[in-house]
Amino acid sequence: MISPAFWWQAIKLALSQIRANIGRSLLTALGIIVGVASVTTVIAALDGLKDRVLTEFETFGANRLLIFPDRPDGYPRNLYPWKDVRLKVEEIDAIAQHCPSVRVVTPITSLKTAVQHGERILEGISVTGIRPAWHETENRSILEGRPFNSIDEEEARQVCLLNDDAIRELGLPADPTGEHIIIGARRYLVVGTVETIQSMMLGINTSSAEIFIPFAMAARLKDDDFFFRATAMIRSPELAAEAESEVRFVLRKMRGLDGDEPDTFEVAAIDQFIDQFKALAAGITAIAGGIVGISLLVGGIGIMNIMLVSVSERTREIGLRKAVGATPSAVLMQFLLEAVVLCLVGGAVGVLIGEILAIGLTFIPDAGLDQAHVPLWAIIMSFSFSAAVGVIFGMFPAIKASRLDPIEALRHE
Amino acid sequence: MLISLRDITKIYRVGIDTVHALRGVDLDIGENELVAIMGSSGSGKSTLMNVLGCLDRPTDGTYLLKDRRTDRMGAVELAHVRNELIGFVFQSFELLPRATALANVELPSLYARGERRRDRRKRAREVLDRVGLGDRMDHRPNQLSGGQKQRVAIARSLLNRPAILLADEPTGNLDSTTTADILRLFRALHREGQTVIIVTHEDEVAAHCERVIRLHDGRIASDLPISEDPAGRLLEEVAEITESGS
Ligand SMILES: Nc1ncnc2c1ncn2[C@@H]1O[C@H](COP(=O)(O)OP(=O)(O)OP(=O)(O)O)[C@@H](O)[C@H]1O
Ligand SMILES: [Mg+2]
Repeated sequence: MISPAFWWQAIKLALSQIRANIGRSLLTALGIIVGVASVTTVIAALDGLKDRVLTEFETFGANRLLIFPDRPDGYPRNLYPWKDVRLKVEEIDAIAQHCPSVRVVTPITSLKTAVQHGERILEGISVTGIRPAWHETENRSILEGRPFNSIDEEEARQVCLLNDDAIRELGLPADPTGEHIIIGARRYLVVGTVETIQSMMLGINTSSAEIFIPFAMAARLKDDDFFFRATAMIRSPELAAEAESEVRFVLRKMRGLDGDEPDTFEVAAIDQFIDQFKALAAGITAIAGGIVGISLLVGGIGIMNIMLVSVSERTREIGLRKAVGATPSAVLMQFLLEAVVLCLVGGAVGVLIGEILAIGLTFIPDAGLDQAHVPLWAIIMSFSFSAAVGVIFGMFPAIKASRLDPIEALRHE
Repeated sequence: MLISLRDITKIYRVGIDTVHALRGVDLDIGENELVAIMGSSGSGKSTLMNVLGCLDRPTDGTYLLKDRRTDRMGAVELAHVRNELIGFVFQSFELLPRATALANVELPSLYARGERRRDRRKRAREVLDRVGLGDRMDHRPNQLSGGQKQRVAIARSLLNRPAILLADEPTGNLDSTTTADILRLFRALHREGQTVIIVTHEDEVAAHCERVIRLHDGRIASDLPISEDPAGRLLEEVAEITESGS
């Protein structure tokens, strides 16, 4: 219906209108600029964080199952005392034996204790008790010496593995194998060193000393009813759900839980944490979206205001256009298009600022945002929203322009 | 008949007052006439022009333009009629200030349908040449004199080859030399077959026309060939101007 030349001219006119009032236009579009800039920055940060967390989880193995004691929610405390809820070594053995989808499983227990080498005594060093299966559930290489073997565990040998921080803090030589250190009044032979994995997300402090001893030895350092968790390695990632239900079945059976009783433990595949993180990220995105919605609303009102000013400033022009044959819908389209172009220009400036801020984020040290980037979908979304604001808030002024009586418009001062 | 008005009235309501701008006008204008509409201020000239130009609808009466009832048309249809059949020239030119002369002249084609969309650039150049502004196409209105602005406006009104050219006091803002130029242009267009209707206060302008319609208080007081109208006494002068110009 409307000629193609009309569209082209209307866009050119809209741009020249913006150029002629550049200061006013940018001020008007400020709400849109701020809204779009902030949403693109937040999305860039979240996206970067998400990539970061996902790679982190990858490094720590997607095929892992975490097993830990957990008192069921919503039941009387005395019904499930912690003493009964805690994991037992026999349960871990049963999982190792009776769960076909589980390749290996290791109990893990941590304690803080004093460690001595020669004259040097370090207090509160993290000592972790593990079984040899740990070497399969964690992919942390042995840099010197050897990993734990089943004899270390079965005979509860006083052997240990250290990481580089522990070696340094205890003043041991770079290759400490064959040296002895004292943990809890017993002498342990250092049999190897284990790689340190850098991680901020999973709570492993990068600059901490770690010492590993056989689980059987760690048990002796603790009280009788001590708590521990376990990590299982699944045969393949697709078996996650199966492995989970196998473990659940074995534990329920061992604990003699009836059909209507709740689990007194928690079995979680690592991807559940990923899901949780994704849900969290989606929540933050939604909140950011709400804030942006408000600033777009404010921006939209600004647009409406300036378009009303524009319509009244150009009343004679509207009258003339009608006199030479512009239909009401052509006038409506012209002003609607002008509002949309104004919003799109604001959106473009906002995306640009967001992009610059996102690049700025990657330079913040230790924020974990070094992978922050504005994804394409965020840019497309920004422009769509800007255009929508233009249409919605430009509609009223455009309708007003389209309804002007040509004579009255031409007579307007 | 190109234009045929029957018992046209136009009543404005201002608060509780009613203003009878037109009180039953009967008027026929044929192809290729050159008509002046005269009358004192407030006699209804502009109102009649706006009705003729389909910018305004009469309160009552029938208006046949090329045998079509325009008084019954809706806003969209009237817009198309204005685009295709009417060329309007205003006292205050009404050019878009930021557009070049060429872009101003092209304006009606943006709202055109079918054939009239084609070759707009070429046709705009042609009509600008026709009004003698071939060398001012890229000038903006503020770079043109009053007479040149009015020529651009006339070129714009001619773009879609209108059936009638309506000019409401086209020389009201111009000095006498420029007025003579513009009138010579209207006469030339008339000789080429264009129907032209000019509203004016000045006998000097009316004297260039062939027929003079005088309005008084919303009614046609007289409708005479120029030779019988009082303005006709200036005819000799007009002949001189026309000769010296061409
Ligand atoms: N929009 C309007 N509302 C109310 N009254 C109006 C309106 N337009 C015109 N009139 C009245 O209608 C009458 C005719 O007006 P019109 O503009 O047609 O006169 P005119 O002959 O063109 O006068 P002028 O020579 O001063 O231009 C006048 O009395 C005027 O006040
Ligand atoms: Mg008038």
